[in-house]
Amino acid sequence: MSRFRPEIERYAAARVAANARVHGLSGSAEYDDEVRERAVFSVEAGLSFFHTHAEGVGLILFFGSTLVASAVPWRRARAALYLAFTMGALFPLGYLVYGAAVLAAGRDAGIELAERWVLTPLGGAAIVGLVGLALALAVARRAP
Amino acid sequence: MTSPDSWRLPPVPVLLTAVVLIVCAEVGGASMVRFKLELTRWARQAMLERPGTHGLVGVRDVDERVLDEALVKFDAGLRLFHLHAEGMGLVIIATATVAATLAGSPASRRPIIALLTVGGAGYPLGYLLWSGLIPYYGPDRGKTIAEWLVWIPFGGATIVALWWLAGLVAWRMMRRERA
Repeated sequence: MSRFRPEIERYAAARVAANARVHGLSGSAEYDDEVRERAVFSVEAGLSFFHTHAEGVGLILFFGSTLVASAVPWRRARAALYLAFTMGALFPLGYLVYGAAVLAAGRDAGIELAERWVLTPLGGAAIVGLVGLALALAVARRAP
Repeated sequence: MTSPDSWRLPPVPVLLTAVVLIVCAEVGGASMVRFKLELTRWARQAMLERPGTHGLVGVRDVDERVLDEALVKFDAGLRLFHLHAEGMGLVIIATATVAATLAGSPASRRPIIALLTVGGAGYPLGYLLWSGLIPYYGPDRGKTIAEWLVWIPFGGATIVALWWLAGLVAWRMMRRERA
């Protein structure tokens, strides 16, 4: 991302220009420049969020699934938690979709699409897995 | 310790604290995105109701800059809570596992794990407190309050525990070398 920043910016600006209608470009240079800058900024934000979340979520799910393996005694509960964590592990990819969707569908529509169909379900799966792990730890502690 | 080469799990309440902290981080992050508009509106309204606190003078050009700056810090506090709660949850799990495995004596193991857990779980809440205080006390005064109430005591507890643990691990290594 750092190395190819100018290329990414150029590509994103070209895609915005090619998709003038969905980005609401009007032909007025001043207005269009602002729209283009906001769209390019959102694409870069998506890539940057992908980088930070892929690092963070990877570690969280690594430790979370290690705890599941070590401290959750029920086989079915472990399988359900692994499934939720595996879906949650895909959450950072949602930010790549976010960047691509901004270019393809326009800034607001693209963000809405990525949030509704990718980030919310996958992030929700990670949260469900973590809440399930917390509950399993609490129940396992009480179990004889 | 049954075998020096196998990792030992920390006590379950410690793990539970760490996992709940990570859940709070994730829910906080999701809420920040979902309710961004509502949160910004609330903070802005609370700041407008306290012009003296924020140095608002009634001139739109000046006031908007002050409000924007405070709102950026309000948002930064929420983001930092999200980041630190995730990070400190992992730090608690990792360091408490090291302490449970390598600190042989309960006299040192228990306080180290307690300090790591309490310090690690409390510290990120300081960012939430800071954000919550910004509309009422301004960014600087809010930061001072959060520092004294949360960051210094809880962050200090974590630092003390980490140095203690590092000392113990170093001591253990030296004893091994000699043996």
